[in-house]
Amino acid sequence: MKLVIDEDRCKGCNLCVLVCPYAIFQEGSELNSRGVVVPVLDRPERCTNCRLQHLYGRVLCGLCHMICPDQAISWIEEKPFEPHRVEVEF
Amino acid sequence: MIAPDWFREDRLPHIYCAGCGNGTVINCTLAAVEEMGWKRNETVFVSGIGCSSRAPGYILADSLHTTHGRALAFATGVKLARPDLNVVVFTGDGDLAAIGGNHFIHACRRNMDMTVICMNNQIYGMTGGQGSPTTPQGAFSTTTPYGSSEPAFDLAELAVAAGANYVARWTSYHVKELTKAITTGMQTPGFAFIEVRTQCPTNFGRHNKLRQIPDMIEYLRGHAMHVKKYDRLLEEGKPIPEGTFTVGELARRNRPAMGVRR
Amino acid sequence: MSRVEFMQGNAACAEGALAAGCRFFGGYPITPSTEIAETMARRLPKVGGVFISMEDELASIAAVIGAAWTGTRAMTATSGPGFSLMMENIGYAAMTETPCVIVNIQRGGPSTGQPTRAAQGDMLQCRFGSHGDYSTIALTPNSVQEMFDLTVKAFNLANRFRVPTLLMSDEIVGHMRERMAIPDSVDIIPPAPLAEGSLPFEAGDDGVPGFAPFGSGRSIHVTGLTHDERGYPDTTDPEAHDRLVRRLVTKVESARREIADYVVTNPDAETVFVTYGPPSRTVEQVMHTHPDDDIGHLRLRLVWPFPEFALQEFPNAKVFLMPELNMGQMVREVQRHVDQPVISIPKIGGELHTPAELVRILEAHR
Repeated sequence: MKLVIDEDRCKGCNLCVLVCPYAIFQEGSELNSRGVVVPVLDRPERCTNCRLQHLYGRVLCGLCHMICPDQAISWIEEKPFEPHRVEVEF
Repeated sequence: MIAPDWFREDRLPHIYCAGCGNGTVINCTLAAVEEMGWKRNETVFVSGIGCSSRAPGYILADSLHTTHGRALAFATGVKLARPDLNVVVFTGDGDLAAIGGNHFIHACRRNMDMTVICMNNQIYGMTGGQGSPTTPQGAFSTTTPYGSSEPAFDLAELAVAAGANYVARWTSYHVKELTKAITTGMQTPGFAFIEVRTQCPTNFGRHNKLRQIPDMIEYLRGHAMHVKKYDRLLEEGKPIPEGTFTVGELARRNRPAMGVRR
Repeated sequence: MSRVEFMQGNAACAEGALAAGCRFFGGYPITPSTEIAETMARRLPKVGGVFISMEDELASIAAVIGAAWTGTRAMTATSGPGFSLMMENIGYAAMTETPCVIVNIQRGGPSTGQPTRAAQGDMLQCRFGSHGDYSTIALTPNSVQEMFDLTVKAFNLANRFRVPTLLMSDEIVGHMRERMAIPDSVDIIPPAPLAEGSLPFEAGDDGVPGFAPFGSGRSIHVTGLTHDERGYPDTTDPEAHDRLVRRLVTKVESARREIADYVVTNPDAETVFVTYGPPSRTVEQVMHTHPDDDIGHLRLRLVWPFPEFALQEFPNAKVFLMPELNMGQMVREVQRHVDQPVISIPKIGGELHTPAELVRILEAHR
């Protein structure tokens, strides 16, 4: 699961910034092509829903996408995690 | 987004200003509709005129966007002619309390089986911020430039007095509680009235030093007091801060209702 | 076969509505139309219909439109003051193409006026009363039998064209009691259904879109705002507004030959009475006592859309006389369609013209 903000719908009200208990949403600083400052996501993998929704089979917090007046926030399924080698340099 | 099946996605984004609470109320309503398991061909959304009343236009179901103040009268016709349809009415404070006040008290009196969600932003938003019957005394608007001199209506108390079976009030900040209240209202036979205090930073906030969206939310949060706490303070004779409004469930009863599915 | 009854006009109107399949009545008591509501209140529950006395006329017409959108045949009945209150929502019904019937038992106005006296003072209001451009259909009965027949016809026209249809009667016909026959059954025309794959406000050649009532699963958005064929508001595009409003007007106006309903007597006459509603009964009396091929009579049973071609049925006409129970309303419509002089014979106060009055004017103009 992954949190996404639909930039075509977001009007930059920052209500998500106000309600997120994990401070995942941060006020943005750059105007997008529609002239809206869309919030940015800070380490969205910390979101409870992203981590645990499948385990519990229901929405756990969801305040951001409930309060988003512009229906711009949703979770999308990610591709299954593929293990890959990480080269560690000493 | 909540309940994507219920949105006319081809019409989004909607016309509401940035930070408007109405979009949140649509989310909560549709979440409640999903929880009820209502089907598209058995649900009708009715509204009057105003910001709030644009809501049915974004919902994928039969919807009737009517004339100013008359939403409840139209909804009464729909519900009586087809009691098997679930009727949800979106309305605003100007629509419901000013021009539609008569229809409001009579729909409560008849106890028509429908769910009415009033997005009370305490201002006429669509026309640019004029004082409405719910504008608090002393608040500024374009038609109350020296502060409103009229006492404001308490819509939820009005509905209780007029006989609605279910009455609750929340704010557009209390999304979980609001969704639960709307669901309970939909489950209750008879007239369910849910007043939602919504933020209107563009027109209400601008004139009342609440221009920023967080300020407006803080204002709603700060002045909302659960009805149980309010009653306790009253009982103990303790002072209640000025501008406080109660939230929570104000009435749930079982008066005879009209238009209930046979 | 039919059943013969001695009945009041208002009761006959209610019986006509029931025969036409009306199953919803939302009303508010107002003299002289109240008997329609009373009859419906008594009869509707017995046939599985709904009667509701709303809190005012604004709510009555609103409830009727709401019920009509569920596919139920719905009507309301009122008189002048209530009719004025209904105006905004009649415009809404025209804009949203809602098939419904509004009965106006006219009384003396303006304002509260003469509640128990007859008038025909709302004839222009019923056509132009709501703001903006639209078109409606208005029928004018002159007898108890016609209260029945034209109510049935009003429902069928409302369904055929998806317009609010007005039965413009008055206190005289509404409160008159006379012999009438109730047929065993009447023709009922349902609205054309919305074809699979068509948009909700996409009209065919006749300008009338198919009707998909609420609950049929088509998820229709109905709005009084200027809307496109999908039903979605489009309030700034001049073309969208032109396309919609032009269609709303022309779908009715272009059908006026098809739906015209008038009676011609003595087409070769030189002096022609043009009437609608109860003044036609005085003219009939004059023609009965003065049998003369030189007196013609055009009686309109459907006044809006105005059938101007009906005036051509009198090729020898030298003068048109128009008795009306108002200060001269429909006479303007006649005047703008003929070259001959058109003499208005207005009468207000609540009583019909007497035959002697009409004879005096008749003699003066031939």
